[in-house]
Amino acid sequence: MKVILVGFGVIGRGVIKVIKKKREYLKKKYGMDIKVVAICDSSGAAIDERGLDLDLALEVKRKKGRICEYPGKGVTLPVTEVIRSVEGDVLIEVTPTNLEDGEPARTYIIEGFKSGKHVITANKGPLALYFQELMSYAKKYKRIFRYEASVGGAMPIINLARETLAGNEIIEIKGILNGTTNYILTKMEREKLDFDTVLKEAQELGIAETNPYQDISGLDTAAKIVILANSIMNMNVTIRDVKIEGISRITPEALTMANKGGYTIKLIGEVKRNKLEVGPKLIPLDDPLNVKGSLNVAKLYTDLAKEVIVVGRGAGSIETSSAILSDIINIYLQTSRG
Amino acid sequence: MILLDLELKDSPGELLKALTPISEMGINIHSVIHLREKKSDGKVPVRIVLEDLDEETLEKIVERLEESGIVVTKVNNKVRKMDIDVVVIGHVVDTDIRDTIDRLNKYGLVVDLDLTMPHPFKESSARMRIIVDSKNLEDLCREMEKLSKEKDLLFIKSF
Ligand SMILES: NC(=O)c1ccc[n+]([C@@H]2O[C@H](COP(=O)([O-])OP(=O)(O)OC[C@H]3O[C@@H](n4cnc5c(N)ncnc54)[C@H](OP(=O)(O)O)[C@@H]3O)[C@@H](O)[C@H]2O)c1
Repeated sequence: MKVILVGFGVIGRGVIKVIKKKREYLKKKYGMDIKVVAICDSSGAAIDERGLDLDLALEVKRKKGRICEYPGKGVTLPVTEVIRSVEGDVLIEVTPTNLEDGEPARTYIIEGFKSGKHVITANKGPLALYFQELMSYAKKYKRIFRYEASVGGAMPIINLARETLAGNEIIEIKGILNGTTNYILTKMEREKLDFDTVLKEAQELGIAETNPYQDISGLDTAAKIVILANSIMNMNVTIRDVKIEGISRITPEALTMANKGGYTIKLIGEVKRNKLEVGPKLIPLDDPLNVKGSLNVAKLYTDLAKEVIVVGRGAGSIETSSAILSDIINIYLQTSRG
Repeated sequence: MILLDLELKDSPGELLKALTPISEMGINIHSVIHLREKKSDGKVPVRIVLEDLDEETLEKIVERLEESGIVVTKVNNKVRKMDIDVVVIGHVVDTDIRDTIDRLNKYGLVVDLDLTMPHPFKESSARMRIIVDSKNLEDLCREMEKLSKEKDLLFIKSF
């Protein structure tokens, strides 16, 4: 299985580490041999049709910061050109999320389909803005498109709903899909600190990003809700259809007030027919949605199985990469059959 | 069989207050079931099982119970009245809390109010419990949205 990796940041490097770690296991269990034939970042690419040396690639990135400095095999070609010209089975797209126009990921994904590659992404931008378009490209070029890591990181949800719960109609999904805001609210509640103090601390610890706007405004959760609505509830919506409220107005007093009534406050994303909403909600203290720290959780209401609840890590390099690996294995199993 | 789910206050005589009007109307009560442990707010959920009744008699019973201040949450498993909680953040008091409550009372009934003493310049918060007919829930939400825009209040709801 030949893999092209676009994006060599936190997740891209995690994917490479996971592939390295699981190499023997994948050979034994599935007879699958993964060759990474190209790795791209914003500087260009390293290309080797016989498979790159993954340790060397990680070292070049760590020391020089630019993958195009990979000895002998580094190039400064545009990424679209690499996707088009390098022969590969799967494109893994993990460039930064852009919720304005989905670029550059949207172009890369489309280019992947056009040049005959299956595509895996962890990127919410193109999915939340151009879901139908991307699906139609996958269909037109008869390629597989998977994106488990885009919602809930390592927490299984998309493939869980579509494959494990196959046959069930998903009626409603409700959950905490952003670890940063959950961390902040949990900390404010426990230590009675105000929002700004906890945010600053979270940034210092590297839990919140330097620009936390997408997280605390609810935009990140909204993008994930849209992906769930489109991919497992057959809706046709974009992020502009979501009613969004963030958490920056939540105070420790409000949390105490909620506690006195038997509740906590969580940033909840919710989707059902006629309702697409992100905002702070009162959640009963003994409710399974009351998970702490930076955990993610989702409750799915289905017609047959009724409630199903999943909890897991919504971010992290290796954790998120595990979801990408499950997509790789799935594509391998689907395409190597018969 | 007819199932009536009630929420009673946790004080002596409450159950009798619910059962008396029913038996006065000559209706057979099959059983009384305590549904769960007492809830955190001190209310006791109870289910009463009655003989089969026509719509009209059933409606009459529910009305009589409600008149005597008993909350009928479900009739035959269909939600009738809901208890909802909201925490409100903003200049809750300065934006005329009386008016806020009056406007919510058009669609439901604010039965409980808890306020933090507001700091003159900072936003404060309040918690309200509202009982609402399930058919009025949407209107109540719309009123909250209006209040939220007009008075810059944030309503954090339990549903
Ligand atoms: N981090 C998480 O825990 C997590 C969890 C779930 C999903 N995701 C999603 O996964 C994706 C990647 O996240 P990340 O944390 O790995 O981000 P990141 O650390 O910022 O890495 C982004 C990578 O993309 C490269 N890149 C930027 N612009 C590019 C362009 N125009 N062409 C080619 N490559 C470009 C960057 O190149 P340089 O190295 O040259 O700057 C970098 O290698 C995002 O969409 C994110 O939302 C992340």
